[in-house]
Amino acid sequence: MTSQLTNAATEVMPAFTGYVYPNEATAHPIWSVLIVVYPYITGLVAGAFIMASLVRVFRVKALEPVYRFSLLTALAFLLCAPLPLLCHLGHPERCFEILMTPHLTSPMAVFGFVYAWYLMAVLLLELWFDYRHDLVVWSKTESGFKGILYRLLTVGVTDLSEPAVKLDARMGKILSIVGIPSAFLLHGYVGFIFGSIKANPWWGNPLMPIIFILSAMSSGIALCVFNYQVLTWVRRREMNMRCLDTMAMFLFYALVVDAAVEALDWLHRAFAAEEGFQVLQVMIREKLFYTLSVGQALVGTLLPFLLLGSLQLLRRRVPEVVRRRMIFSSAAMILVGVLAMRWNVVMGGQLFSKSLRGVMSHKFDFTGGEGWLMGLFLLILPFIILAMLLRLFLSERLPSSEPGPHSAAAASLP
Amino acid sequence: MRHFRFPPQLFRLVLLTLAIVGAYLVARTLLTPQSFGEYGWYRGSALAEIASRTPVFAGKKACAECHADIAQKMAQSEHKTFSCEACHGANREHAMDHDVVPAKVPDSYCLRCHEGNPSRPSWIKQIVVKDHYGEKCSDCHLPHQPTQSP
Repeated sequence: MTSQLTNAATEVMPAFTGYVYPNEATAHPIWSVLIVVYPYITGLVAGAFIMASLVRVFRVKALEPVYRFSLLTALAFLLCAPLPLLCHLGHPERCFEILMTPHLTSPMAVFGFVYAWYLMAVLLLELWFDYRHDLVVWSKTESGFKGILYRLLTVGVTDLSEPAVKLDARMGKILSIVGIPSAFLLHGYVGFIFGSIKANPWWGNPLMPIIFILSAMSSGIALCVFNYQVLTWVRRREMNMRCLDTMAMFLFYALVVDAAVEALDWLHRAFAAEEGFQVLQVMIREKLFYTLSVGQALVGTLLPFLLLGSLQLLRRRVPEVVRRRMIFSSAAMILVGVLAMRWNVVMGGQLFSKSLRGVMSHKFDFTGGEGWLMGLFLLILPFIILAMLLRLFLSERLPSSEPGPHSAAAASLP
Repeated sequence: MRHFRFPPQLFRLVLLTLAIVGAYLVARTLLTPQSFGEYGWYRGSALAEIASRTPVFAGKKACAECHADIAQKMAQSEHKTFSCEACHGANREHAMDHDVVPAKVPDSYCLRCHEGNPSRPSWIKQIVVKDHYGEKCSDCHLPHQPTQSP
């Protein structure tokens, strides 16, 4: 009986220590696994887009083979970005209401507009201008479902004259230039949603949008590196080492800047030691030890920093196979590390009391709408969509004869 | 003079944008509820809808009509501020029809307030369940007069 009562007690009263307000003593945190996945996916979109813009805006020729690939990666993940929110809020049949009666004083509601701008006005348009030439060609050569799809996507414009194609390239470049601040806005906005919560010392921080953008850049580039290597392996093609090395170089730079800014943030927090710093110390030492010190700092930052850094110094002396493996494992570790960083941000802010004198513990479900399984599904789904997009728009069977930055793209992409 | 021709792809895009914006405006007109914004940023008719719901709680007064003895004892005990339905659950159906049996109160309800917790005011009597003697709370304590034993 006693054990029954003890079990009942843990059901009624979740485990917590110190001074916790009654409304914080809940069985589950308000923001759960799904809200961890949401900024992660959004960050991957922004990072992948910035990677693509390196080709268009900054003319990094070595990255041309992955230009379209990164854009399609960004699209596949962007299509899934609102899904965690939709699943978390429940009642998906009501989701249109936020668009029908948008409330401009709600940061969450305004995200709908930021998202719509990025999807409709930047990413889809850039992809359309970039693919227009190919879509017209494919709509004539392909039949069946694919043919219908390509014909629909041409929107009835079949003009492939030289001025029209030139205009496409110019529009693509303009959209890329607009796209960089937009990608920063998209993910910076996610950081702002956390950073603007001034009552929470873990979140309320003006550096939050910047940290989010920088970690997004490293995770997005890492995703492209990861996917590029997986795709080459799946298609059994030879890897373009110049492209991979350049991606690894940019990944290293992004990681260095990201790690430096995050370290500065922590140095500042530790030196200023403002109200609430004590409870933050408990979080770092106890509550988030594995995800922060091990996941984010060691696996997500230090190890890839050493691997990629050593490659920058000794690239020519490292054999190609070893280099490939080092870059692949660095990318995978950065992806894990940034996921751990999102976990630390979202969960960290919810594991201590607003009294700053107590900490809570939560047990997360495995199944159910807010469980691990759902989070895993939402992380796998963009890869499935990307595989479909690659079949449709980056297939080896499709002819490619377009000018512009992507000419080398289809030719040399595995 | 050269004749200016608006690029066809841009022309289609402008048309498409106008179609999307137009569809949004039409959908907004059709889908925004009539009473939206009547009082604030919500449906005005929501107030009437909520008010028209059937209540599920009976209220302390209704309980006291039949259980006057318990209500009197409660009024003198430390639990006097409690609503009956706080522990016994929503029981309007039982109040309307005495044949409907109310649900049994589990012991874990006591622990909502009496399980030891440093953040709880110390004037609330608290125990640590695993160290506390006894099988069931109600074996030794009367919930309606908590200072007395059965």
